[in-house]
Amino acid sequence: MEFFQRTLDGLLEAGPYALVGLGLTLGFGMLRRVNLAYGAGAMLGAYTGSWLHVRMDWPIWAVLPAVIVTTALTGLYVQWLCFGETDRTSGSVQRASPAVSGADAREVVALAASFAVWMQLEQLCVNWIPQHLKRFPDVAATQEWTFGPLGLRPDRLLLSAIAIGLVLAVHHWMQHSRTGLAMRATAVHPLAADLSGMPVAKVQRWGFVLACGLSGVAACGVLALEGQVTPMFGMWMLMKGLTVAMIGGLGSVRGVLFGAICLGVLEAHAQAAWGAIGRDAAAWGLLLLALLIRQRSSATSTTGSVYA
Amino acid sequence: MRDALCVSEPGVGLVIQMMVLSMIALSAWLVLRVGRISLGQQAYFGIGGYAAALLTTLGQWPLELALLAASLMGMGSAVLLSWPLLRLPGLHFAVATLALAELVRLGLSGLHFQVPGPQGVPLGPDGVDGFRDIRWLFDHGVSQVDYMLWAGAALALSVLGLMLLSRTRLGLSLLAVGHDETLAESQGLPVNQLRMLAIALAGGLAALAGGLYAHQQTYLEPALFDPMLGIHAVGYSMLGGLATPLGPLLGAMFDLGLLEATRWFEGWRMVLFGTLVAAFLRWRPRGLLDEHTIYHLGRFRPHFSTTLKDSQ
Repeated sequence: MEFFQRTLDGLLEAGPYALVGLGLTLGFGMLRRVNLAYGAGAMLGAYTGSWLHVRMDWPIWAVLPAVIVTTALTGLYVQWLCFGETDRTSGSVQRASPAVSGADAREVVALAASFAVWMQLEQLCVNWIPQHLKRFPDVAATQEWTFGPLGLRPDRLLLSAIAIGLVLAVHHWMQHSRTGLAMRATAVHPLAADLSGMPVAKVQRWGFVLACGLSGVAACGVLALEGQVTPMFGMWMLMKGLTVAMIGGLGSVRGVLFGAICLGVLEAHAQAAWGAIGRDAAAWGLLLLALLIRQRSSATSTTGSVYA
Repeated sequence: MRDALCVSEPGVGLVIQMMVLSMIALSAWLVLRVGRISLGQQAYFGIGGYAAALLTTLGQWPLELALLAASLMGMGSAVLLSWPLLRLPGLHFAVATLALAELVRLGLSGLHFQVPGPQGVPLGPDGVDGFRDIRWLFDHGVSQVDYMLWAGAALALSVLGLMLLSRTRLGLSLLAVGHDETLAESQGLPVNQLRMLAIALAGGLAALAGGLYAHQQTYLEPALFDPMLGIHAVGYSMLGGLATPLGPLLGAMFDLGLLEATRWFEGWRMVLFGTLVAAFLRWRPRGLLDEHTIYHLGRFRPHFSTTLKDSQ
C-alpha cells in the first residue's frame, strides 16, 4: 500500500513538472536552441509577483497575470539579446539543415549567451529582494481526501488536471490552428516557410515569447501551492524542465506528459528508498539515460518529432 | 553563493584562485575547441581535488606526485565517463555532461572514508561536509608565495603545452574536428578518437586545478563544484576568446580580477558579468581574442591564423 501511495504522490508531482517542461520544449521547438535563462525568467516573474503581493497588496487574481506578463516580457528580452542575432547571421538556409548535429558556433554562442542572461536575471532578483523566503499568494488546500488507506491532496489533483488540459490544448492548437501551422512550418523548414511568405522572424519571436509566458503559468501553478519563492526556484525550473523535456523528446509537446510522469514517479520512489540525495541522483540518472537512449533518433533527425 | 568562484582572500590567495579558475576555464576551452560544450568540467575538478587530497593526507605522498596522479585520474575518469556520450549531438552532449557532473557531485557527497589522524582529528572525506584538514602545505612549510609560483608554473606549462600542440599536425586535426566534423571525417581523421583525446586532456587539466585548489583552501566540499563553476568555465572561454589558450585566462582574469577583486561592483558582479558576456556574444561570437584579432595582432603564428580566417 505504501508503494501505491508513493506512486500516487509521484503522479501528482507530474502535474507541475509537465507545466514546467511545456514552455521549455515549445521554446526549443521554435528556435532549436535551449534557453538556459528559462528558469531565471520565471523567477523574475515570481519575484515581481511576490513584490506586488507583499508590498503593493495586490489580490491574487491580479498577481498571477502580472507574473505571466513579466515572464513573457523577460522572454522577449532574452530572445532579443541571445537568439535574435544568431538567427539573422545564420539566415534561414543553414537552419533548414537538420539542426543540432554538432555544436556549431551559433549553438555554442546561443547557449552561452542565455546562460549569461540567466546569471544576470538571477542576481537581479536577489539584489532586488534579498530575503531568502518571499511570500507568494497561497491557494493550497489544507484538507486531504482519503480513499481507504490512500490520501490525495485536492489542490495537487487540480493542478495536474490543469497541466494535462494545458498540454493537450497546446498540442491541439499547434496541430489544428493556422498559427500553430505557421509555427511548425518555421521550426521544421525555415527557408520553405520564408518562401511561402511567412514572417519567419516574427513567428519565431512571438512563439518564443508564448513559450516563456507558459513558463510564467507554470511558476504560478507551482508557487501558488507552495506559498513562497526562494532563490533556488530558477535553477529548479530549469533542471526539472530540461529533464522532463529531454525524456519526452525535446520539441515534443505530448512527450512532456510522459516525461513528467516518469520523473515524478521515479523521484517519489527514490526519495523513499535513498533520501534527498538519492532523489536528485535518480533524476539526473534518468536524464542521462534518456539522452543516451534518444541519441540514435535525435542524431539522425531532430526535425521529425517537432510538436508531435 | 558559496562555490569555488567566490574569492575568499585578497592578495596572493586571489592570484592562486585566479590561476586555478583559469586552469578549469582552459579545460572547458579545450572541449570547445573540438566542437563540444562541456558544462561538466567541475566533475573532474572535484575528482582531482579529492584524489590529490586523499593521496597527500592519507597516503602521505608528496604534493607533486599527488597532483600528477590526480591529473591522470582526471584523464582516466574523463575517458570512462565521456565514452558513452561521445556520439551525442552537441546540445545533448552539453546537457549530458551537466547531468554526469551532478551525479559525480552527489556521489562524492555520499563518500565517507575517514581514518583517525595524528592529532586525533579524523581525516578524509565526510559526506556533504566534505574533506577537511588538507594540511600538506602547513606541514611542509610551503608559503603562499611559493605555492603561487608552483601554481603559476603549472598554468604556464599547460598554456605553453596547448600552444605548442596547436602548432602540430595533431593540434590542427583537433581544430578541424571542431570546425567541421563531416569534413574532418571525410579527410580520414578519426573524429571520435581525437575528440576523446581533447576531453581526456581537459579532464586532466580540471583535475589538476582541483588538486591545487584543495591544497590552497585546505578543504574541499561537494558544494564547491556545483554547476555554476562549470558554466563559468565555459563563460570565461567564450568571453576571452576561442582562438588561443590565452583566451580563457583573459576571461577569468577579467571576471575575478576586475569584477570580484576590486569590490567596486559588490553584489552586482554577476549582473555585470552576465550582461557583458551576453553583449559580447552578440557582437563578437568567438570572444575577445578571436581568430581575426589574433591574425591582426600578428603575434601567434600569423600563417596559421590565415588558414583559419580563410576557412571561416
